[in-house]
Amino acid sequence: MEDVTRPDVASGVHDVAQPVVQRSFLARAEPYLYLLPAVIVFTAFMAVPVAGTMAISLTDWDGIALSGLEFVGLDNYVDAFTSDEFWRALWHNIVLIPFFVLLPAVLGLLPAVLVHQLKLRGARFFQAGLFLPYIMPGVLIGVVWRWILNPVFGPVNSTLKRLGFESPPSWLGDFTWALPTVGLIGAWAAYGFCYVLFVAGIQKIPNDLYEAARLDGAGFWEELKVVTLPGLRREMAVVFSVNLILALRAFDVIRATTNGGPGDETQVLALYMINSAFNANRVGYGTAIAVVLAVLTLLLSVLVLRLFRDNDD
Amino acid sequence: MSMHRRSLLKRTGAVAGAAAFGPAILGAPHLAAAQDETTIEVWDTFNADPRKAIVDDLGASFAAENEGVTVEHRGWTLEELQDTLPRVVDSDQGPDVAQVNNGESLMGPMVRAGQLVDITDYVEEYGWAEGLPDGLLARNMYSTDGTAFGSGQLWGVSVEAEIVGLFYNKDIVGEAGVELPTTLAGLEESFQALLDAGQTPLVFGNLDKWPAIHLFGDIHGTMATREFLDGIIYRTGEQSFEDQSIIDAAARLQDWVSAGYLLDGFDGIGADDAAALFEAGSGAMLLQGSWQAGTVGSNLGESSGFFLMPPVEEGGTVLHVGGVGIPHAITVNAEDPDLSAALIDKLVSEESFNAFVDAGLLPAGEIPADKIVADTVSGDLYTAWNTSLANDTLGHYLDWAAPGFYDVITGELQKLLGLQVTPEEFAANLQEFYAASFE
Repeated sequence: MEDVTRPDVASGVHDVAQPVVQRSFLARAEPYLYLLPAVIVFTAFMAVPVAGTMAISLTDWDGIALSGLEFVGLDNYVDAFTSDEFWRALWHNIVLIPFFVLLPAVLGLLPAVLVHQLKLRGARFFQAGLFLPYIMPGVLIGVVWRWILNPVFGPVNSTLKRLGFESPPSWLGDFTWALPTVGLIGAWAAYGFCYVLFVAGIQKIPNDLYEAARLDGAGFWEELKVVTLPGLRREMAVVFSVNLILALRAFDVIRATTNGGPGDETQVLALYMINSAFNANRVGYGTAIAVVLAVLTLLLSVLVLRLFRDNDD
Repeated sequence: MSMHRRSLLKRTGAVAGAAAFGPAILGAPHLAAAQDETTIEVWDTFNADPRKAIVDDLGASFAAENEGVTVEHRGWTLEELQDTLPRVVDSDQGPDVAQVNNGESLMGPMVRAGQLVDITDYVEEYGWAEGLPDGLLARNMYSTDGTAFGSGQLWGVSVEAEIVGLFYNKDIVGEAGVELPTTLAGLEESFQALLDAGQTPLVFGNLDKWPAIHLFGDIHGTMATREFLDGIIYRTGEQSFEDQSIIDAAARLQDWVSAGYLLDGFDGIGADDAAALFEAGSGAMLLQGSWQAGTVGSNLGESSGFFLMPPVEEGGTVLHVGGVGIPHAITVNAEDPDLSAALIDKLVSEESFNAFVDAGLLPAGEIPADKIVADTVSGDLYTAWNTSLANDTLGHYLDWAAPGFYDVITGELQKLLGLQVTPEEFAANLQEFYAASFE
């Protein structure tokens, strides 16, 4: 038997035929095997939780015991869309968009352009300083700004009083100023990211373009309009989509400063979601808000990316 | 161990009918099970000294008294504990003994989910109810099906107590020539006199939202009846937030805002910062809970005192904001519920009681006279607490009224304080949510 099989294995015919089947199977499976670790991680930490979230949003789960859970269909979504609180929270998110998206872009662009065009010395020092707020945790930013804006002993109101303003607003507790104030704090937290992207982007713009523009007699503003801004389109796309997501999921800074107050003037969707799920023990309802927020974020980021891509073409 | 219980009974028994349970219960019926190796896991909010050290010591001493028993104590922040506990118990894991926040914030849902052990029999056997008025015990009660709050079975026992009142700076108040007020109108006269003297009458910061519950609740307590307040909190369905007492208290609070009695910029300053201002000697009075007594006393020393919100008419009743501390309960996953009950008994023993008093804290029970030092802030607090306990004048935290009501009442109070709504609108907005919570 051994004598028979041995030559079989060694013989050319078998040698070619059998491994071909094996190799082609392996060859076909190989890319999937490389994907496997990522697929496992993705399934465990993305697909399953997302599916679970969607499933919970169709129930009345109170977050206490799974045994009492009942399927309620789309009731939670109907509740959300017919609730004033939901729309007010969404409106606050929309008001925050200019603060979280446009303002940081402008605040980041200005120093980036200045550093590049004026060839400022010590630029790296400024870069580190300007980037600092972005890497600070939101809760810490909240604590710091609560102190800065403290109406009794904070530096902002002390300065304003010295400048002659008799009763400056209490900012975070003021019904008119609270939302713009958390918006400004959000802008302060986000502009460092824009700045770093823009600095990197500007350095990629060929110097020839600037030289050509100058030969044509372009000044600072023309250069900005004709060379810098068009050259930064890709960075703009990233900045706008990332900051838009930040505006929609705004939570930590607001939680740490106003916690949605005064009244519900700064209550945003993420805060409303957390409060519904954990303070009111309506996890099913809170989860439905989370799903709406996720879909909204997805749609808007696709829109922003498409906007910039179309221009590119 | 029974010795501690016996002496505690002797002390507190004078307050309410000790005869009912008497010393006959004091054998140690539950300790037979303690012979095998057993670990009792305790989860609570005692995550910092002095409380953490007290509970760690009590656990160690319990383990030493019961062979083969180990006590594992884990202190959490309240928020983390709230979010974790029911989920863990639902997975058949977690602690034997845990602090479960009163009312609809956690106890109600956990009772309804069958996650807690009915401890009514243990309460009777060990005499944990001795010295505590019914009004306080009711806060740890739910019906067996978890639908009725404030009556039925007991699900937890509180180690600590809380009462809200006015801390004051004796130097500032004395300089302005202000006597301690005996009526609400008298308090307002004091505020005016302090204001005229260039002082901040009431240090108050509401950026964190919850302090207004205490301020409004204490004013409301001067105008509310026990029937109304218990009815609204225990959700009998017979009371409405559009009660005249709510509207009157709201109007009074707005008067205080308009008169300038509250710290200028109170809406933009946090509770801790406000307390720090008062403790640094800026401002005459601070409305806060008993838990603040320690830091007030250590910062202002002999200059600090404490008194309770005075009644509308001299000698009248005020239902002060406060109540029992977060109660300890036994979860259904407790390995040996009898042993867990014995550990809880340790937590409310005289040994524990004295340790809490010695640390300047307020345990749930009458403070013995020999522990009260006159003319100190803690002495004032203990005297005020004993009076309130004897008269059963502990009110409630209004945010307990319905699940999720905290966010509503704190938001509405900010609008009220910001003069954005009228007292009538304020009451109507609260009632709208409250009524919907019954549907």
